[in-house]
Amino acid sequence: MRDFSSTSESPLPSAQPPLSRFQAPRRLFSTLEGVFNEEVFFLILSVFIGIFSGLAVVCFRLAIDWTHLALLGPLPETHSWRLFAVPALAGLVVAALVIHVFPTIRGSGVNQTKAALFIFNGFIPFRTAIGKFICSGIAIGSGQSLGPEDPSLQIGAAIASALGRQLEISREKLRLMAPVGAAAGLAAAFNAPISAVLFVIEEVIGRWSAGILGSVVLSAVSSVVIVRWFLGSEPLFRIPVTTFKRPSELLAYAVLGIVGGLASVGFAKSIGYLRPRMKALPRWTQYFQPAVAGLLIGLIAFLGAPQIMGAGYDSMDQAMHGQYAWKMLAILAVLKIVATTLSFVSGAPGGMFAPTLFVGAMLGGAVGDIERFYFPHLTGSTGTYVLVGMGVLFAGFLRAPMTSVFMVLEVSGNYEIIVPVIVANTFSYLISRSLQDVPIFDLLTRQDGLILPSLEEDRDEAILRVEDAMLPAPNTILSAEEYVDANARRVQDSTEANFLVRMHPSGWNIVSREQLQRLFLEGKGEHTLGSLLSPQSLPSLYPDLPLDSALRFVNDYPLIPVVNRANSRKLEGVVSRDSVFKRYETDRTPVGG
Amino acid sequence: MSWSFPKLIPRSAPVILLVLTLAAATGFAAVSHLVARYNANQQSRGRKLYQQGLADAAANRYDNAIDVFRAALTCDPTNSEYQLSLARALRDSNDPRRLDEAESYLIALWQRAPQDAAVNLALARVAAHRGSIEDATRYYHNAMYGVWNSDPDANRSKARIELIQFLLKQGAPDKARSELIALAIALPPDSTAHLQAAQLFAQAQDYSGELAQYEEVLRLDPSNSAALAGAGQAAYNSANYAIAHGYLQAAVNTNPQDADSRQLLATTELILRNDPFVGHISDADRNRRIAAAFAQAEKRLDDCAQEKGIDIKAAATPAASPLIALQSLWTDAKPDLTRLRSPAETDLPDAIMDAVFQIEQQTAVTCGQPMGLDLALLLISQEREEANR
Repeated sequence: MRDFSSTSESPLPSAQPPLSRFQAPRRLFSTLEGVFNEEVFFLILSVFIGIFSGLAVVCFRLAIDWTHLALLGPLPETHSWRLFAVPALAGLVVAALVIHVFPTIRGSGVNQTKAALFIFNGFIPFRTAIGKFICSGIAIGSGQSLGPEDPSLQIGAAIASALGRQLEISREKLRLMAPVGAAAGLAAAFNAPISAVLFVIEEVIGRWSAGILGSVVLSAVSSVVIVRWFLGSEPLFRIPVTTFKRPSELLAYAVLGIVGGLASVGFAKSIGYLRPRMKALPRWTQYFQPAVAGLLIGLIAFLGAPQIMGAGYDSMDQAMHGQYAWKMLAILAVLKIVATTLSFVSGAPGGMFAPTLFVGAMLGGAVGDIERFYFPHLTGSTGTYVLVGMGVLFAGFLRAPMTSVFMVLEVSGNYEIIVPVIVANTFSYLISRSLQDVPIFDLLTRQDGLILPSLEEDRDEAILRVEDAMLPAPNTILSAEEYVDANARRVQDSTEANFLVRMHPSGWNIVSREQLQRLFLEGKGEHTLGSLLSPQSLPSLYPDLPLDSALRFVNDYPLIPVVNRANSRKLEGVVSRDSVFKRYETDRTPVGG
Repeated sequence: MSWSFPKLIPRSAPVILLVLTLAAATGFAAVSHLVARYNANQQSRGRKLYQQGLADAAANRYDNAIDVFRAALTCDPTNSEYQLSLARALRDSNDPRRLDEAESYLIALWQRAPQDAAVNLALARVAAHRGSIEDATRYYHNAMYGVWNSDPDANRSKARIELIQFLLKQGAPDKARSELIALAIALPPDSTAHLQAAQLFAQAQDYSGELAQYEEVLRLDPSNSAALAGAGQAAYNSANYAIAHGYLQAAVNTNPQDADSRQLLATTELILRNDPFVGHISDADRNRRIAAAFAQAEKRLDDCAQEKGIDIKAAATPAASPLIALQSLWTDAKPDLTRLRSPAETDLPDAIMDAVFQIEQQTAVTCGQPMGLDLALLLISQEREEANR
């Protein structure tokens, strides 16, 4: 990658000679190059990543629809042989492709994108995008209980990574390309840019980083524009009238949160238990695992629950409009957990977003109907409970609490239900956290032998701050405006070796006892101390800064002043190398939790 | 195996952006083409499914129709026609759970085209299914004043008739009557339409309105036997017995097989011959009619008592049966009959006829609807009460 910034120092001369035929475009070119430093270029590139990801996701969705129509037909047919034959046969094809052609596309794609960011310097083979597109398209289109969102995320990330490599951008930027593409892919698949941005920050990047936020938002928005251009701006569901009238009804939503949290734990544990066992089976069985999963899912559909096949958005839409009785809703929730677990642990490529929403929707509808049966005064409609239920599972199963709230708001476009969503999601998240230590995506990563940072762990980890290692302010503080002999007299009774000097008009410096004595002996007693000290100020710290920020200085200076943010001349305390290291020693925790 | 692209992009920011723009434009064009073809296929498939759904709905196979319309909508999710048809099938499937979904589709359509009469009519029918008079009236009115794709006058009229029928079914005849008045004003000069309107007026118990509609029919088709009979019955129901007599006579003359009209005609003639309160008769004739009515009342009382096995002449206390009180009333009024000719006794006709009316009304309650002159007297009593009110 060329150094874009190097050309920025070539402004056009004020008096220009007449330009020759070839000089004019060259000048223009040169000016344009001056505009593009790497930061600006990266932002523009994010828009292109969004466009390419959006185009890819449009094609991906068409491919899934086309596959579904071609394999299962346009009409829902219960009791048709196709229901179990198609997913089983498609499972064989997918298994063969995954084993022989696209070995890196197993699973949802979220972990792989995260691994690209933290381990592989942003490298995701472009083959992954192609493989994900083909295999997920076949798997989801043939009725495997998986969703298109996570594969879209990985397709977006792979496109971004390939583009970054082609352009030979710096390693630092290349590493960030994957999450930028991931946000674009997810936003396009979900038609919800805010949720996509939040999810990528919560689950892929794992920390809030302002440096990348602009790029992620740009790519997400541009991909959504592309998808809406081609596929329309219709929401995934027709949102029913949602109501929340009395605060006392929050209890009902809290119950939904509790039930959802328990269901999330069951869902996550079943995947966490079965996945390594399925992977441990002899290699030849992997050719048949997706087929067997497809067969079982088809059997469930054949016996009367075809709603569980595929992503299931149509069924969620119907649940939202009260088309199912509570028993059916509860049965569908349980069967979807079973079906998704089967599909996912079999190694069929596909996502867990849509199944999670499906389970949440059905569970929410069922709990809501039961509650309203026993408490008829509750005003929330079935649609309201279904929507809240979606967020509940999202918070509990995917453990992305912020995304879960915004996802419901973005999908519903209704801020009236924000309080029920927050209450229910909080309960679900807390129950899930208390019963399942490791979030599902982290669990899957660890099962694959990788340890990646997570925002949830970061949140749990107590950050050491400067104030934790801070020593009391020393008794003797010298003044730069006083004479050397006066300062020397002040330190006579002190046992300390180094003294902080309050500079004028601001800043701090440091002087040792020996330095001060030497200055005195050199006959500079009638000079002000400030006039003899190096003009370069001593760095100062604030008490609330992370302790890590002190590490840069502790080897260079024996004492570092910790000052008040409102008044930098007011000393709160000091840190030294010993105090910092001692604090770290007492707080030592093993890497990886 | 590792796949990688050859490095074709020159290392200059403007060139890179130019290449990316060209690539995006190419991709855009390619995807546009793909999406257009896909949409065309989907629309064709959706159209076929839609036709199948319409056939299912027409055959009242609503469950099938719903599945097929849903599939059609997956092919063409924004098609208003499919959405409307699905909503109608959901509504007509007689499953209360499906009304919500039907309404949701219709509300979405309504938000896009609030002036669409068909959507408003469908919403009105959903509200009617729910029994919501307020919502149904609002949407029916929207449909009446909305935009129809074809035959707007007829459709508006049909929508209003549907609203009237709904209001009558819901027991809101007052609201129905106001809609009927608006309907009557806008009706085309068509016998069938006026006949239908007349029947609606009858259901709303607005007999004068009913009569007016039959008269409109007779203006268009003077020999219309149904209209003659209807007009006669409407006039009869509104106690316009003289008018009723004319129409009923004409109805019987036009259609001698019309037994109902014949019977009404007979009752009407009895009323006209025996009503002592009509204005154009002499005092002597009035007194004769009162005396005849009084005698008929006694006979009716005796017959009713006999039917019930009560000896009203021997019974001791009035509390034993209302018939005994009536006998007492009749006995008390009998001496007044002789004083009818006195010009000073101006209140006597009313007092005697009050006794007659009480006897006829009470016996109708105790022994059932009378026939012949008793029925005529009962109707006269009701007319009288109405007039007094």
